[in-house]
Amino acid sequence: MFSKALFKQSMKANWIKWTCVTVATCVMLAIVIIALGSLAIDNIRDSLKGVFQQADQESVLKTNSVDSYELYLTSAQFENGLETMSNTLNGLPLTIIWNSVASNYEKNYQEFMDANAGVEPTKDDLVQIREETVEDTYNYFNENFGEMIGSFGLSESEIKQFLTITVLAYESDKTISESTAMITAIESSYLQYVQDNAYEMYLQQEDATEETATASSLAARTLASYAIESYKTQSAQEGFVYTEDTFKEEANLYVNQMIYDQVLATFNITDSSTDEEKTNAEYYAVASKVLANTAISTYELWLDEYENNPERYPEITNDTEAKSSARIEASASIMDQIDAEVAAALSELGNMDMYGLIIGNLFYRVAGILLPMVYVIMVANGLLAGQVDSGSMAYVLSTPTKRRAVTVTQMTYLMLSLLAMFLLVTVTSVVSIWIVGGNDFTINFAEILLLNLGAFLTMFAFAGFCFMCSSIFNRSKYSMSIGGGISILMLVCTILGLFGSDVVPVAMRIGQMNFFNYLSIISLFDATSILSGGMDFLWKFGILALIGIVTFIVGVFCFEKKDLPL
Amino acid sequence: MEEKEEVIKVTNLTKDYKNNRGIFDLNFTVYKGETFGFVGTNGSGKTTTIRHIMGFIKPQEGNVQVLGMDAWKDSCEIKKNVAYIPGEIAFPDLSTGIAFFKAQAELLNLKNMDHANELIKRLQLDPSANLKRMSKGMKQKTAIVAALMGDKDILILDEPTTGLDPLMRETFLELIKEEKAKGKTILMSSQMFDELETTCDRVALIFDGRIIDIADINALKNADSKAYKIEFIEREDYLKFKKLKFNIIRDQEKYSQVTIRIEDKKINHLFDVLKNYRLKFISEVKFNLEKHFKEILQEKIKGGENVQ
Repeated sequence: MFSKALFKQSMKANWIKWTCVTVATCVMLAIVIIALGSLAIDNIRDSLKGVFQQADQESVLKTNSVDSYELYLTSAQFENGLETMSNTLNGLPLTIIWNSVASNYEKNYQEFMDANAGVEPTKDDLVQIREETVEDTYNYFNENFGEMIGSFGLSESEIKQFLTITVLAYESDKTISESTAMITAIESSYLQYVQDNAYEMYLQQEDATEETATASSLAARTLASYAIESYKTQSAQEGFVYTEDTFKEEANLYVNQMIYDQVLATFNITDSSTDEEKTNAEYYAVASKVLANTAISTYELWLDEYENNPERYPEITNDTEAKSSARIEASASIMDQIDAEVAAALSELGNMDMYGLIIGNLFYRVAGILLPMVYVIMVANGLLAGQVDSGSMAYVLSTPTKRRAVTVTQMTYLMLSLLAMFLLVTVTSVVSIWIVGGNDFTINFAEILLLNLGAFLTMFAFAGFCFMCSSIFNRSKYSMSIGGGISILMLVCTILGLFGSDVVPVAMRIGQMNFFNYLSIISLFDATSILSGGMDFLWKFGILALIGIVTFIVGVFCFEKKDLPL
Repeated sequence: MEEKEEVIKVTNLTKDYKNNRGIFDLNFTVYKGETFGFVGTNGSGKTTTIRHIMGFIKPQEGNVQVLGMDAWKDSCEIKKNVAYIPGEIAFPDLSTGIAFFKAQAELLNLKNMDHANELIKRLQLDPSANLKRMSKGMKQKTAIVAALMGDKDILILDEPTTGLDPLMRETFLELIKEEKAKGKTILMSSQMFDELETTCDRVALIFDGRIIDIADINALKNADSKAYKIEFIEREDYLKFKKLKFNIIRDQEKYSQVTIRIEDKKINHLFDVLKNYRLKFISEVKFNLEKHFKEILQEKIKGGENVQ
């Protein structure tokens, strides 16, 4: 069933082809792996990733800037309220209020002491006393100045708040002058007012939770206190008038400074830092400041735009919507400015597995099997059909050699030569990866072994098919054009199909071309599944092996049954 | 001859390739030690018949038996006793003649190359030459060596002398005669009548896939009647002679020539008759296989036409 002499003959006839193809494929593979490893395509990918991270950071920074600006403005805009409130309260008989608070507090305190036989009041008791005092005082005012208070537009809770603060001021220092106490009370109630209003405002924003609203309102309160200080110094100047622009300018300066300080702080610059570090930190801080400034300008420009041309933006109906829309526009990074699909494509490119694409899909499924395929087509044809066509098979079959011995021997030669070829390719791939090795290289040894096995099984299937054609046809031209033609066609289909498969980034993918993948058995070599740790490739390997085995067997039987023109 | 062992027996062998191509209902037997010739024009079916004997082709009808075994089914077993020179010369993809002989020896399980070397010397072949660059004659010599080196009992030679120069052809025919002398059974095909005439015991004429005639050369050569060509000087003598009851096989009126066939025992009668005629010449017409077959073929075609 096996002819050693024929095997030797086949080796002698084909060793040059084998050597050329094997060496060329191995060299090609080594160059691909080493070039990829040393060119570090992953660096390019990482920098692309970096662009996205930077864009994200930029977006966050801009959003923060706009939010801080808006916060400041919110608080500053209450400076109007501060003035109004101040004037209002100044218009009130402050002395009367102060005295009324004092007398009511003393009265309630005394009542408590009487009721509790001189025991000192606890914290809760004090709260009780304060509340009673506020209630008494409010009732007194409502009776006597109700109309007047109503004209100032202050709500009951606001007045009560003011009174509470006044009570607290009295309680903490009974010797305090009434004007100082009143100013403290006014400021405190103002701050509380800002906080409450800010809380309400932020709660209405998109994606707001109670926590974020609380945090934002507290920030607004802090900013308001900053605004009060600013107000005090500015208003002390002769002839200074607060306008909206003043607020905005103030807010912008404040936010810029805040961002600058924050960014600088992240660099941990100390006295021992080098000049370079300092310059670097300074650079980033200034750059961030510029970004913040840009964001705020953009925000303002969009708000103006919404206000001036409402007809262009029918979807914006109120102030809150305008602000939220302007905020989105202002916080846009480079990536937000480009088309969403392009951004997605670029992002995919950044996350793509370049080694997997080039080595797994491009080399092992196309470029790397091209030469072995040419080898298989030529050798499979030469082992049977070529010799029948030329007539040289007569010299073998005129000796006591069975036809089955001929086919089995030639089949063995074809399979073993392919196996030897891919063993060398495998060794080359493993050594190359070991040379360029490192964590950057995403293909590990198990995966590269599976890729080699896949390429071998693919070629095994083609070898079986070409062998079968070589066995069926007596003419080289038919064997070559059917066996070789279909094999090459399948390879071409795989190349075309690659542009439709999901290994190619969306930007380059043409979905319809995926159709070609259904025309090629190379699709059963699922490199993507191997590289992504799936198990799908296993049953596909099974089918490839089966194709090879069945076609080889069919080849052996066909050769026994047919007439030979020898 | 009847007691001789049947080596190749072809029975009702038919392979129809359509369009009147192929072979039809062939029957012949080659006996042990016999040299059997196969002659016919291109495409007449010689090679197809030989391929059947070699077991390369499965018969459509009938069968071929070699040493009592079926040529198709027991092809491999038969090859132990058969050597073959294919009609088309194409060698395996090997470098030199030596490499080829070694490969063949391995396939034949042949250890001793003495016989091969002797053949190489006899045919003046340079076996170290590149197989692909060989001239047609050299290739043919190589094929002859490869076939004869196994020293098989049956030689099947498909047009073995094509490409050989006349001297080499002589050498080859010598070789064949030696093989025959060793008691080998030889079946060879050729387009050349003379070489078959000198080497073969029997020659089959195959035409359009059918065996027209199988000529027994020895019997024909040693036949008890011979042909004589006679030319007369006088026209009247010629006309007078034709009236006599001799078996005239050819008549050339223009030259006053006749060719007659006459039994050896009647030769004196002929000379008695001829005494009274003035002859230009008389000569014996030697037996010629080509002429013999042409005569038969012409008769067949005539017969065929008559039937129509």
